[in-house]
Amino acid sequence: MYDKNFLEKVKKEKENWEQLNKNAKEREVKFETDSGIPIKNLYTPLDVKGDYLEKINFPGQFPYTRGVYPNMYRGRLWTMRLFSGHGTPEETNKRWKYLYENGETGFSAAVDALTFNGIDPTNRDGAPEVGTSGVPLYCIDSLFALTEDIPIDKVSVALVVEPFTSAPVCAMYFNMAKMRGYDISKLIGTTQNDILTMTVGYIPYKNCPPNHLLRLACDLIEWTVPMKNVPLWHPINFTGYNYREGGIDAVQELGFVFASAISHIDNIIARGWKIDDFVNRLAFHLAAHKDFFEEIAKYRAARRIWATLMKDRYNAQDAKSHQFRFHVQTAGSSLTAQLPMINIVRTAIQGLEANIGGCQSLHTNSYDEAICLPSEAAALVALRTQQVIADETRIANTIDPLAGSYYVEWLTDEIEEKVWNYMAKIEKVGSIDKALSSGWLYKEMRDAFHKRRTKIENGEEIMIGVNKYKVPYDTCTDVFRTNPESIQIELDRIKKLKERRDNAKLEKILDELRKVCEKEINVMPVIMEATKEGATIQEICDIYREIYGIWEPPLAI
Amino acid sequence: MSENKIRVLMSKPGIDGHWRGGIVVSRALRDAGMELIFGGFQNVQQIAEAAIQEDVDVIGLSIHSGAHFAYTRQLIDILKEKGVFENILIVVGGVIPAQDFDKLKEMGVGKVFGPGSMTSDIVSYINSHTKK
Repeated sequence: MYDKNFLEKVKKEKENWEQLNKNAKEREVKFETDSGIPIKNLYTPLDVKGDYLEKINFPGQFPYTRGVYPNMYRGRLWTMRLFSGHGTPEETNKRWKYLYENGETGFSAAVDALTFNGIDPTNRDGAPEVGTSGVPLYCIDSLFALTEDIPIDKVSVALVVEPFTSAPVCAMYFNMAKMRGYDISKLIGTTQNDILTMTVGYIPYKNCPPNHLLRLACDLIEWTVPMKNVPLWHPINFTGYNYREGGIDAVQELGFVFASAISHIDNIIARGWKIDDFVNRLAFHLAAHKDFFEEIAKYRAARRIWATLMKDRYNAQDAKSHQFRFHVQTAGSSLTAQLPMINIVRTAIQGLEANIGGCQSLHTNSYDEAICLPSEAAALVALRTQQVIADETRIANTIDPLAGSYYVEWLTDEIEEKVWNYMAKIEKVGSIDKALSSGWLYKEMRDAFHKRRTKIENGEEIMIGVNKYKVPYDTCTDVFRTNPESIQIELDRIKKLKERRDNAKLEKILDELRKVCEKEINVMPVIMEATKEGATIQEICDIYREIYGIWEPPLAI
Repeated sequence: MSENKIRVLMSKPGIDGHWRGGIVVSRALRDAGMELIFGGFQNVQQIAEAAIQEDVDVIGLSIHSGAHFAYTRQLIDILKEKGVFENILIVVGGVIPAQDFDKLKEMGVGKVFGPGSMTSDIVSYINSHTKK
């Protein structure tokens, strides 16, 4: 990147500088990134390799290291999207409106554990969890209540459901939108639909085996985008965030999402579609963790890897197919129950990483995250944190402001190389469903859990208030409690629905779904019909269970 | 002397899939020489049955769903009904507000380990508080 003579001169001067300062003392800590990359005391032009136009280039141009759009935040700020849901759809709707009125620019539905696992509260194993960790969405009526008076034609909605339940929940949403008079071919939003979230990020309760989950995820992709039913929708969001939270590092996070994306792309291509028919609607969701510069380098490396992967491996022609677009969530696992107010500081710094790294959308965590679901007050602080970054810091004045930093460019290269190597390692194990069913990914997660835990327990990874400057749990923060009446409210909702619907007609559609599942053809058309007629999430998922069986993940301790 | 080992059932009551805490603690207990039975997802009835069948000294409940009161109360009621509550130490861990610790202890939980707990503290607590 620099002239040879100039580099010679720098090299010589650097040697002089090192000689002069060789006795300068350093603290007794490991100078390395969170992922373990050793870090030098200083970076200079000597560390920056390669050609600017080839490797970095301009924003909106291959390989998109500096950002996917030519104008980035000067054109439009990132979407401020808080992951939010609790109690009942009506209460969640109230929270959504509150945040929207205060400047939120996108919605994201956090669903409860029953919705996540495709069961309803008539299942007594899960009944105490109705609405406790998210919003219950068990039938089409819930989707109407969730989005009441919300302009879903103008503001994008993220449905955070995974492959086991993504088809029924999305079908309920699309049907609701149609019945409200919206043209779903113009609908904007995202479905998480991420196989790894519901297998290694979070263990599944009575879900089906990974090969079927992979196919179901691809059914939604195929039906929305290349089949053009909801062509602007993002039918999948590869969510490295969720497994990163388990303890894996930045390199593994990107390795997991890209390996997963490859398996999904290969599945859709095997159905006869071309890469440019669908790949530009695949989206990503990454973490903003504690290591400030490593995370920024990660976002920049991710854009370059994706562009290269699409061009070289898949021969994608459309420029949009090369663009890595991503949502970011600040790291919940970095927050502490001991010093909740300090969580605001942590979140602000992590939000800044995401914005300096050029994210398209951001969730900032609430300070009570390590204690309970976000209270209204805590969620508002989280939103205001983004607004401070956007409107007060002036970081959005220029695009990719850290480009050209000797350190950041060097670290971007390091991460990129390590991710390519890790992807090759995963590919040797096989496609993503095989990496799951063989237990390989569970072992990777397990090892990461223990490594991270050991570092925290021996003080190598510092958590203020927990293992340094220790303080007791904070008991002053108001604990947000979800509505204890939720179970009854949701049981009543399902009862009313079942009384109203044409059960004979629905039975016929569900029989049709059985046949479709047996033949392994796209489930979306018949699930659109079934949910319109009032099928509940459990009625759909029970058919999956009946045909595909229940999978016990090979957990590793 | 395996018969002297402390036997622990680690369970996730309900359907919430946050599994890291339960796994990390399970490994730490095993490394500390305890006999570890990982129950995974279990309803309270299954937890009680497994605890009796396996003759455990400790039941560890890993709860991140916010439903800690409901599951703990239900389990303790069953253990009392079956007449084994007096023999088994119950330890709860997970995302549980410190404000709720006392109420859980009143129900019969030995100790609650919230976010940021050190596994070494959990090991030493269990070593010194098993009931048998």
